[in-house]
Amino acid sequence: MDLAQLTGDLEDLRSEAMAQAAAAPDSAALEALEIELLGKRGRLTAVLRGIGALPAEDRPRVGAVANTVREGIEAAIRHRGKSLRGGELDARLARERVDVTTPGRPIRRGSLHPSLEAMADIAAIFAQFGFVVVESPEIEDDRTNFQMLNIPPDHPARDLWDTLYVDLPGHLLRTHTSPGQIRVMQSMAPPIRVLLPGRCFRYEAVDASHGFEFFQVEGLMVDEGTTLADLKGLLDQFAHAMFGAGKRTRFRPGYYPFTEPSVAFDVECLVCGGPGCAACGRTGWLTILGAGMVHPVVLQYGGLDPERYQGFAFGMGPERISMLKHGITDLRLFMENDLRFLGQFR
Amino acid sequence: MRVPLSWLRDYVDLEQSPDWIARRLTLLGMEVKGIEHRGLEWRNVVVGELLSVERHPRADRLSLTRVTTGSGEPLEIVCGATNIAAGDRVPVALPGAVLPGDRRIERTEKMGVVSNGMLCSGDELQLTADADGIMILPADTPLGVPLAGLYGDVVLDVDVKPNRGDALSIVGLAREIAAVTGTSVRFPDSTVTEAGRPTPERLRVDVEDPTLCSRFVGRWVEDVRVGPSPASVQMRLIAAGVRPVSNVVDASNYVMVELGKPIHIFDAAAVHDGRIVVRLARPGERLVTLDHVDRELHPETLLIADAAGPLGIAGVMGGAESEVSDATRNVVVESAIFDPISIRRTAFRYGLRSEASLRFEKGQEHRLARIGADRTARLVAEWAGGTVAPGVVDTHPAEPPPARVAFRPARVNRLLGTALAPAEQAAVLERVGLAIEAGGAGDDPTTAGSGAGVNVRVAAGERPLVVEADPADVLVAVVPTWRRDIEIEADIAEEVARIHGYDLVPSTLPSTSMPPFRSSPLELRDGLRRALVGAGLREVVTHALVAPASLDRVRWREPVDVADGETEARGTPIAVTNPLSADHSVLRQSLVASLLDIVASNARRGRPDVAIFEVGKGYGRVGQTTSEWWRLALALWGPLDQPAWNRPARDADLDDAKGLVALVAGYLGLGEPSYTPVPSEPSLHPGRAAEVRAIDGTGATGLAGRIGELHPSLVEAWDVRGRVIVAELSVRGLTAGQLPVPRAVAPSRQPDVERDVAVVVTEDRPSGELEMVIRASAGPLLRHVRLFDVYRGAPLAAEERSLAFRLRFAAADRTLIEAEVEAAMAAVVRALETAGGRLRS
Ligand SMILES: [Zn+2]
Repeated sequence: MDLAQLTGDLEDLRSEAMAQAAAAPDSAALEALEIELLGKRGRLTAVLRGIGALPAEDRPRVGAVANTVREGIEAAIRHRGKSLRGGELDARLARERVDVTTPGRPIRRGSLHPSLEAMADIAAIFAQFGFVVVESPEIEDDRTNFQMLNIPPDHPARDLWDTLYVDLPGHLLRTHTSPGQIRVMQSMAPPIRVLLPGRCFRYEAVDASHGFEFFQVEGLMVDEGTTLADLKGLLDQFAHAMFGAGKRTRFRPGYYPFTEPSVAFDVECLVCGGPGCAACGRTGWLTILGAGMVHPVVLQYGGLDPERYQGFAFGMGPERISMLKHGITDLRLFMENDLRFLGQFR
Repeated sequence: MRVPLSWLRDYVDLEQSPDWIARRLTLLGMEVKGIEHRGLEWRNVVVGELLSVERHPRADRLSLTRVTTGSGEPLEIVCGATNIAAGDRVPVALPGAVLPGDRRIERTEKMGVVSNGMLCSGDELQLTADADGIMILPADTPLGVPLAGLYGDVVLDVDVKPNRGDALSIVGLAREIAAVTGTSVRFPDSTVTEAGRPTPERLRVDVEDPTLCSRFVGRWVEDVRVGPSPASVQMRLIAAGVRPVSNVVDASNYVMVELGKPIHIFDAAAVHDGRIVVRLARPGERLVTLDHVDRELHPETLLIADAAGPLGIAGVMGGAESEVSDATRNVVVESAIFDPISIRRTAFRYGLRSEASLRFEKGQEHRLARIGADRTARLVAEWAGGTVAPGVVDTHPAEPPPARVAFRPARVNRLLGTALAPAEQAAVLERVGLAIEAGGAGDDPTTAGSGAGVNVRVAAGERPLVVEADPADVLVAVVPTWRRDIEIEADIAEEVARIHGYDLVPSTLPSTSMPPFRSSPLELRDGLRRALVGAGLREVVTHALVAPASLDRVRWREPVDVADGETEARGTPIAVTNPLSADHSVLRQSLVASLLDIVASNARRGRPDVAIFEVGKGYGRVGQTTSEWWRLALALWGPLDQPAWNRPARDADLDDAKGLVALVAGYLGLGEPSYTPVPSEPSLHPGRAAEVRAIDGTGATGLAGRIGELHPSLVEAWDVRGRVIVAELSVRGLTAGQLPVPRAVAPSRQPDVERDVAVVVTEDRPSGELEMVIRASAGPLLRHVRLFDVYRGAPLAAEERSLAFRLRFAAADRTLIEAEVEAAMAAVVRALETAGGRLRS
């Protein structure tokens, strides 16, 4: 073995390796080739084993040549590897194509019930004005539901609330959330700003606008200087928040035994906007709630001195608000729980 | 109340359009619910004159008439009535006409003769009650004119509130309109021409209890001829919604609509010796009322009676025997005032609420008894002939003076948020007939205070309150006797606002102090609801009132634990004593049956899956107290994950429901829920039912309840295919709680160490029990245990299964050393073996 022969072998190895690398069919073959050529027991190492037979002064030269050859082979393998991977990725991507127009895997979407959602919307609006939520029982005593609200037994105004009575004497299913006014006044000191949401019951045949179970939201505000004008201002804000800033409102006399003066509050018809249509009974207005200044008798039953304290109360049906807002024309849908109906809400 | 505008115009000048009147009344608090244009439906009905009336050539009962409508060729019209003669002017419905009830008139052939339209009866036009004869119009009625132009009317449907009985009358509404238009009311004429023997010599009235009948005014009219009322009267009554009966009865109804005063008229021949007694019914007494029902009278019933017995139920319904008939010659007019409560109770007791009893219930102006008697007598004489006997019988002729209500104009402004000067307030009130005086003027005993002040009534009724005010700050309103609703200062404030106009009340925002913060009782409930909606469930709201059968179908037999601080479900069901239907007659004690109803109804509609929840109440009674408890219930049926081309169908099972329970527990910061088998709950599948519980870090129960697959017999009862999974949970804070604030700790920087252990047990050993064994034995380093695999089959025995748990160990402050973990695992293995498990390797 002499120097020339050895360098010749190295050059041969290089050219053969270059050709093999360039011809490697895929990454796996290339990897095998790399091991065959450059591995610990590879051909380059085998060639270099002959270096021991050379004179000492020739060895550095062979080392230099061997390095060049190794680098050359490595570069060739790298180069081939890069081109192979590019092609293989393309092939994989082509293989992995899907029909992107198919629908996705569905995720079940839930929904909140519109009655309770309307209640939450109402509460959120009044919360901005400092109103806090309080609840009171659904099974009430006659005294709190009627008498303490200035509706004595056999009073003709009782016709306004057809009542379901229960088999516990003196008790009934509350016909409105108004008895909560008494409970709040008895337990909280003015200034009072509360909302009383909840389920109510009436002896009422079911039709498109009546039900025997429904929800109501009562509002009560009492302190030393709360006026009818404040009630009007607040309800205007409410109507604008709920139905849109430009909506016109109307304040007119109403009648409730527990308020004096009493108020009916209308908003311009959301369907026709004023000229009159079937939805508004050709009046151009939709009544959305009843209200008034808390009656002095009620204040006294609440433990408050009507000479010092005054305030207002209002009551509305969240279902009615929801119907107006969403264009629903049949109250029965709320208790029917047809999922096709419920699924339209968030 | 139905108000024909033609009638209203008798008492007040009113040029404005019906829409204007309706709007004004509404703004006065007399809400107009509808406007009916009567006569609009009589299209193509005109006035004609009969030129000739001959017998129909082929039918004895028909007449052949020739009619002119003033222009064009005379029309031949066949007619069945017999009250017609040549020269009569009659309503003619021409071909193409449409009559009330959508009855279309065409040219027809009747027994070989062509009839070119129809002659109309009053009944066919819904103008009068006469259905037998053709309506004969006054001879001077212009020919060819559309009938709508002559007899058309506009009728307002006015919702008069219960406190304004005075406005439940044409005159009362005329007063309201006069107040806004600034005109005055023409009161109906109640003067009578009297002759003959005086009334007091013919009639005597004794009232046994004047608190039940504060006034009875009686009049006597002799020699009446009972027959139909004049057509114009019938038209008015029909327009007002009252059926015409006869001239005498119509007179009483007319006065009721006109003045709001219910009147009753007796056949005088039925009143023995002309002696009337107003008294309560005696035990066992009976009366056949006008509707021909023989009634046993309750002893609280106030009667109009004579020596022989009851003549009628006071204020509610007369007796058949004393009813005015065609044979009646002399009549007694009763115009009385009864106790409103007594009338209301009696009308309810007999199910006889009427226009009359409604008006009595609301209270009557004392003066109206006299006016009503006079007006009725006048109308009876006018329409039925006869002679009104001189004078009246009157049990309480002294009429009370008008009420005097003191008010402080400053207080009115403070209530309304207005700045109306006292003089302005006075002027507004005077428009509705209140006379305003200065405070302390004269020596008025009703408002004079104990000192120099004037008494102002702030509240009346059950909680009266009177305060004494400086006369300089007070005005006194003298209230017309018909305004029985104005009693206290706040009533005056309302009247000021009402007449001044609610629209003129300013719109301001409250400037008073804000109340302190208070957390919402809905917070936790709302949070949970949103969490479940996020998990794909739909919220439902179902009836609290259910059928008794539904109550029995799903009733937890085993006692169910409740979360700490929540109300337990207990007590007997509460029933409604006057239910609308048996389907909604008791208050529910569990929400589950209601949810099953919703599952079933949606399944019937073809829905393939239902995943719903409700947060609602159960109700019960213990002794004399009632109890209401909040629960969260859910029901799953069909696939929970919607099947699709890329996901196979899989019906929801118990594990899906458990996943939702774990979601709730996790949302509330509770530990993993634990389950205990409940094999004996009749509503649930005995092998797929559990008691669930989740506790918080302190060991308190945060969630507890029942979960399981519905028993197949109930699935069948609800007519649903497949399996239904239900759960009903008591959750701490559902009643009025706040969402717990999570404690957050920094995650450990030391890696956790995980070890698996698989234990073989017989099928009857619950996994939950073995998990408890692991937790109890693993020592303080254990952070988490999770069942991750269940294996059955070789080499295990037939009744065996292998449960594989993954345990996670960690220490907050250091890296665990191998030996610690091995020691803990050794303890776990020992404990599992002691518990009867065999380690699987
Ligand atoms: Zn409209």
